[in-house]
Amino acid sequence: MARPHIEPFVDRDVSFKKLVLPGFPKGMQYKMLSMDSDNGACSMTVAYEAGYKQPPGMSYSEYELFIMSGSINVGSKTYGPGSYFFVPAGVAIEALSSPRGATGLLFYNYGEPSFVESDTDHSRAERSAFTAVNAYDNMQWTSTNFYPATAPGCMVKVLHYDQRTQAFTFLYCMTPNFWQDNISYHDCSEEAYHIWGTSWMMQFGELPTGGYFYRPPYINHGAFGCKLGTLAIGRTDSQLYNHFHFNPWTNIEENRERAASRIQHWKPDLYNWINMKGHNHPVDFEHAHGHANGDAPHHHGDGQVTHAHKKKRKKR
Amino acid sequence: MKLIANKRSRETQAWINRELKEQKARYRKIVQEQDALTPKRDKWIADFLQRIQTRGVHVHYDQMRKVRPEEIPTKPRRKFKVVF
Repeated sequence: MARPHIEPFVDRDVSFKKLVLPGFPKGMQYKMLSMDSDNGACSMTVAYEAGYKQPPGMSYSEYELFIMSGSINVGSKTYGPGSYFFVPAGVAIEALSSPRGATGLLFYNYGEPSFVESDTDHSRAERSAFTAVNAYDNMQWTSTNFYPATAPGCMVKVLHYDQRTQAFTFLYCMTPNFWQDNISYHDCSEEAYHIWGTSWMMQFGELPTGGYFYRPPYINHGAFGCKLGTLAIGRTDSQLYNHFHFNPWTNIEENRERAASRIQHWKPDLYNWINMKGHNHPVDFEHAHGHANGDAPHHHGDGQVTHAHKKKRKKR
Repeated sequence: MKLIANKRSRETQAWINRELKEQKARYRKIVQEQDALTPKRDKWIADFLQRIQTRGVHVHYDQMRKVRPEEIPTKPRRKFKVVF
């Protein structure tokens, strides 16, 4: 299991804890929202205490930081509420400080939190993927641009989009009196945190300010409602497709099977190829071949898709 | 680059273990709270199944269709849960 289904969880119900981990300076507190039991990747609400100072440094895992209140300085620039950073693994950021304190959300995507003091990037870092943007001041709301789409009144600002996996991080809002009468599930995991406001879902009830969920794929959610408006940040780990329906009692297995059946009808040739080809190891010509990297999940027509071969060592 | 391989320290592993233990307790509490919500949820579901027959179910954006009575699903016998 990677991360369990945590829904709903309200971080206002728990206290901040001091973050004491090798490499991290003192003065940072956190509330754990969810953690991946396989690799330590996690999502946290964080508080930088007034006077916090962090030297230039990098993380071994890609991470994202969103500032909710207060401000931080990175190098000579000041970043207030709405500031969002996407920091690839190994990219060193300048000295970070928070003279008056700040709160934010910190997402370590592929490994546990780590901090290594350094004023230069790791040799494998992809500096070009680094992003820093103020989502409140410098981005505008757009419709979700999905098909099928959420109901009118739910809008997004896309903060980060991964071209390979189609995972994305986004701010979303629900207008006052937003409602959507259907049930949805996705093929991806989805997590969200309410920066402000209360929304309602038919399965889980109300999610207030500070409310959070991490939802694995194929779990029903909705109908939806929001009386006074909501501002939230959401993330997925791969492409988000809205599988809408109106049966409140379907389970994960039935939802997954329905999704697979839909792929069979939407992309029949691809579906057949995936199922029929013996040693099935799809290669994207725009990306490095998995075998060249050692091991890539694939199957032999037996459905064991996590199966992998280790890279063979050449005999000398 | 999403992750650069590195050796996890003993302190970090201990921290992860503590957090995972707390996460298990958090999960159990959520399941209990959601089980307690069952009577309210049953009412919400009944209201929903009524609304989609009168006002309609959302199909795409503002497009809705009214669901016919014979299309309304029936609750299966198995235990119903919302947290997996």
